[in-house]
Amino acid sequence: MSQNIHDVIRQQVTENPIVLYMKGSAQFPQCGFSARAVQILKACEAKSVMTVDVLQDPAIRQGIKEFSNWPTIPQLYIKGEFIGGSDIMTEMFQSGELQPLVAAAS
Amino acid sequence: MVTPEQVRDYIAAGLACDHLEVSGDGAHFEAVIVAAAFSGKSRIQQHQLVYAALGERMREEIHALSMKTFSPEQWAAR
Repeated sequence: MSQNIHDVIRQQVTENPIVLYMKGSAQFPQCGFSARAVQILKACEAKSVMTVDVLQDPAIRQGIKEFSNWPTIPQLYIKGEFIGGSDIMTEMFQSGELQPLVAAAS
Repeated sequence: MVTPEQVRDYIAAGLACDHLEVSGDGAHFEAVIVAAAFSGKSRIQQHQLVYAALGERMREEIHALSMKTFSPEQWAAR
């Protein structure tokens, strides 16, 4: 029996403290916005980040958009909570809000 | 190809904005949006309101939209 894709995503974001849904890998991002998201997490000294390459899995790519009610990639989850896309990550990094969230989850 | 003016019109058609600037090259757009509907909303909720205004166009016509959203109070306090 196939598992519902939303259940798969729910499991990913609850079992891993920091999950970044992105295009490409952390080493080789395939989109400028995903690259920026990876850079921001590095600048926050994030450890144990799980990245999910949505280009490798069309079901996840579509499913995460529905799950978050958010039409774009990348998407950041910390401790099961949707934090936002690259614009919100940038704003929260610049205002200093993101660093403590990442530190508490690392 | 979609122009920044069209993106501006799409957003304005679905969301009453006090201030709306859109620039871009046809694939990537940047928007600054001030709307009363943003008051008391989180950043995620503010962006979701813009995405809702754009609807299917966000999936089909607009590759990337980078935005800064403000309630009138946030805009005034900037």
